[in-house]
Amino acid sequence: MQQLTPDMIMVLVMIGIAVFLFIVEWVRVDVVAILMMVALPLLHLVTPKEAFSGLSSNAVVSIIAVIIIGAGLDRTGIINRLVEPILKLAGRSQSRIVIFISLTVAGISSFMQNIGAAALFLPAIQRISKNLKIPIGKLLMPIGFSAILGGTVTLVGSSPLILLNDLIAPFKLKPFGLFEVTPVGLALVAAGIACFVCLGRFILPTPKAEEGSPAEQEEAQPAQLWEDLGRLWELTTPEDFTHYREPVTVDSLRRRYLVNVVALTEPPDFKIMGPAPQQEVRSRATLVVFGQEKDVRRMAQEEGMTLKDNIEVFKEEMLEHASGTVEAVVAPRSPLVGKTLNQVGLSERFRVTPLTVSRQGETFRADLGELPLRVGDSILLHGTWEHLQILHDERILLFASPVDAELMRPEKAFFAGLWLTVALVMVIVFKIQLSVCLMTGALGMIITRVLSIDEAYQSVDWRTIFLLAGLIPLGIATEKTGTAAWLAQTVLGALGTVEPIVLLTVIGLLSTVFTLVISNVGATVLLVPLVVNMALAAGTDPRMAAMVVGLATSNSFILPTHQVNALYMGPGRYRSVDFIKAGSLISVVFMVVMIGMLYLFF
Amino acid sequence: MAIITISRGSYSKGLEVAEKTAARLGYRVVSRDLLLEASDHFHIPEIKLVRAIHDAPSILDRLTHGRQGFLAYIQCALAEQAVQDNLVYHGLAGHLLLKGAPHVLKVRIIADLESRVAAEMQREGISAAEARSLLLKDDDERRRWTQSLYGVDPWDASLYDLVIHIHKLTVDDAVDFIVHAAERPCFQSTPEARRKMEDLALACRIKSVLVQNACYNVAVASEYGNVVLYHKSSGTRTLHVDPTIKRKIETIPGVNHLEEHSGMPAPPSAV
Repeated sequence: MQQLTPDMIMVLVMIGIAVFLFIVEWVRVDVVAILMMVALPLLHLVTPKEAFSGLSSNAVVSIIAVIIIGAGLDRTGIINRLVEPILKLAGRSQSRIVIFISLTVAGISSFMQNIGAAALFLPAIQRISKNLKIPIGKLLMPIGFSAILGGTVTLVGSSPLILLNDLIAPFKLKPFGLFEVTPVGLALVAAGIACFVCLGRFILPTPKAEEGSPAEQEEAQPAQLWEDLGRLWELTTPEDFTHYREPVTVDSLRRRYLVNVVALTEPPDFKIMGPAPQQEVRSRATLVVFGQEKDVRRMAQEEGMTLKDNIEVFKEEMLEHASGTVEAVVAPRSPLVGKTLNQVGLSERFRVTPLTVSRQGETFRADLGELPLRVGDSILLHGTWEHLQILHDERILLFASPVDAELMRPEKAFFAGLWLTVALVMVIVFKIQLSVCLMTGALGMIITRVLSIDEAYQSVDWRTIFLLAGLIPLGIATEKTGTAAWLAQTVLGALGTVEPIVLLTVIGLLSTVFTLVISNVGATVLLVPLVVNMALAAGTDPRMAAMVVGLATSNSFILPTHQVNALYMGPGRYRSVDFIKAGSLISVVFMVVMIGMLYLFF
Repeated sequence: MAIITISRGSYSKGLEVAEKTAARLGYRVVSRDLLLEASDHFHIPEIKLVRAIHDAPSILDRLTHGRQGFLAYIQCALAEQAVQDNLVYHGLAGHLLLKGAPHVLKVRIIADLESRVAAEMQREGISAAEARSLLLKDDDERRRWTQSLYGVDPWDASLYDLVIHIHKLTVDDAVDFIVHAAERPCFQSTPEARRKMEDLALACRIKSVLVQNACYNVAVASEYGNVVLYHKSSGTRTLHVDPTIKRKIETIPGVNHLEEHSGMPAPPSAV
C-alpha cells in the first residue's frame, strides 16, 4: 500500500483549510476558491497551467454560455411564457411551485447535464420569485437539489453514471441498462422534494433585513411602503358610466377615492399608460389603479365599476419588467423645491403617476397636488420603466432605487428560440462538446441582437465562475498526489471483511466525502475499480458497489462545491451555513433511501 | 335653491331685508338662534358665544384660544344648517364662516350713519351724540373682530357679491335685487356645491372635536371625506394630533381617510 507523502499531507491540509473557510466564512466562498487557485501552484501541488485549467474547463464555459442564453430567453419574454403555464398549474402556493418546478427540473436533468437544467431554469425561478414576491432563497435550493437528484434517475443523467459502464468493463461485469437506476433515482427525487415541502421552513434560510447588504436593506423600505399603499387593480366602467353627469377625470377619482389611475383604455382599445390628470374616463373603459383595497372597493361600488380578480387587459404592461414603482427624492438645488406637484406636472410631462409623498416619516396621500415640495421629500412614482428612465435622465429627482429598466425585446423572441434550438440540436444530434454548442447559441443571440455583448457580460455571475473554477485544481491536486487513492485504500483496508450492507454504506459515505472535495467524475474514476475489487473480495455484488459510487457521487449537498449549488449560491444569497444545514439533512436522507432501495430491489 | 348670507351693521335694516328675502323665496332664516343651537350642542353658555362673535378679541383670548373654540362651535352649527340648503343667514361673518362653498350669495347691507343714529335714538331713547358714539364703537368693534380673526376688513366690498346701501334704495328694492341674484345659475346648488358644503360641515365637525380636546392651531380641510389636518406653525418639525383624538375623528361618519400635513400653508378652504 502507498505511503503517506508530504505532498499528500499538504493537500489534506489545504482541503482542511478550504472546508474550514467555507464554514466560518471569514472570506466569501468564491474568494476561498481563488485562494486555492493561487496557493496550490505556489506549493507546487499542481502546475500553474493546471491551477487555472478550471477557467477553461468544459463545465465552466458551458455555464457561462448557458447563463447568457438564459438571459437572452428572459429578455425576449420567452421565460415569462414558459413560467405562465407552470404558475397556472401550481397557483401561488410556495410548496406547490417548489414541487412542480422541482419535478420538471429533475425530469429534464435526468436526460441532460444537471448544471444545464439548473442554469436554464435560473431566470425562470428568479422571475417567479419577483412576480409572486416569494423569497428567492426559498425556491432555489430545493430546485437545485432536485436538479442534482434528477441526475440519478437515468444512466445518462450525470457524468459519474455515464462513466460507470466504461469503468466496470475491465472487470467483465454486465453493463447497466439505461433505466436500471431509475427506481432508486425516483425514490431519491421524491424523498428530496418531500423533505423540502415538509421541513422547508426549518431548513431553508429565512431572509432577514439585517442579513442583507446595505443596498438590499434600502430596497426593503419602499416595499414596506407600497404594501401600505395597496396594489394594482383592474376595473371596467359600465356602459352608462358617462350618462347624465360631469366628466369623470383621472384627477377626480384620485381626489375622491385616493386611488391612482396608472393606465386606462380609450375605447375601443387604445391604451394610455400614465394618463394625465385631466384625462377623462369613458364608458366601457378598462383602468388599472394603484390603491388600498377599501378605497378601490368603495370606488367600484359608488361608480358602478366592475372590479376584476386579476389584471387582464393590461397584463403585459403591468408585468414586473415593463412597469413598476420607484421612490425618488427631491434633491437640494432641484428645480422642484418649492413647487407643487400640480405645477411640476409629472404626469403630463413624463407620464409617471405620483402615488405618495413622504416627509419625515409621514406619508401623504390626500391633496398631493397642492403640496409644495421640500428638499428631502420622497415621491413614490409608478410608471413604465421607459417613462421612469426619461424622468431619471432629466436629473430633477434622485432615484432611491435604480430604475430597473431592463428593456424587453419581445420582437427578438424568434431568434432567441432559434439559437436555443440550434444549441440543443448540436448537443443532442451531432454530439458536439457541450461548451461549444452552448457558446454557439450564446454567440448567435448576440449577433442577432437578442442582447448586446455588454448585457451578456453583465448577466454572467462571476462569483459562480470563480467558485467552480477554483475548486477544480483542488480536485486535480488530490488525485495527482495520490491523496484520494491513499484515503480510499486506507479506509477500505481498515474495514476488513464486513456485511454487504455495511460495506455499501461505507462506500456511499466515502463517495459522498470525495465528491464534496474533488469532482464527482474524479471520485467515480478513482473509487469504482477499488470498490469492485473490495466487493469481489467480500463476496458482495460488485455491480452494486459500483452503482453505489455512481449514485453517491451525486450526494453533494453539504458544501456549495457542486456545480449546481455553486450556480445557485449567488442568486439565492445563500451562505455556506445554509448548505450545511439543509444539505446535511438531505445527504442523510439520500444515504438512507439509496441503501434502502438498493437492498429492496437488488 | 341657494344659501344667502347677509352681513350688516347694527340698525342697517339687515334683519328686515333678511326676513323679507326669506319669505319671498320660502327659505329658512337663521341668526341668533344659531348661537342657541351651538350652546345647546356643545354645552357652552350662550353669553360666551355672543361675546365670541361680537366683541373684538382681547389679549387674553389670544392666549387661551377661547374665542377660537367658540367660533368653531358656531361655524359648525352654521355649516350643519347650510347643508340643508335654502337658507338666509344674517349676522356677522356668515360669508367668512361659509367659505369655499360656491353657491353662497354674499350680501352686505349698509345704511347711512344718520338714519342709523335716528333708529337707535328711537329704539333706545338716547341722545344723538350717545347713539352716534355707540354706533361708531360698535362698528369699530366688529371691524377689529374680523380683522383679528380673518385678516380682512368687513367694509371691503370685494368680500361680497352684492353691497346694497339702504338710503335711496328701499328694503323692498334690496330684496328684489337679492332674489334676482339668488336665481342666477351660479348660485344654484349643484351636486358639486352640495358636496363642498358637506365637506365644509364635516371639516367643522372635526374642528369642533379638535377644539373640545384643546387642539388649536390645526386647520381642517376635507375633500370627499378625505380629511387633512394642517398644523399651522411648526417650522420643520413634524407635529401630530394625539392618537386618541385621531381615533375619535376617524369614527365621525363621512370620514374616509385622515392624514396630517405640517409646516405647509393650509388651503383657503380649510377651517
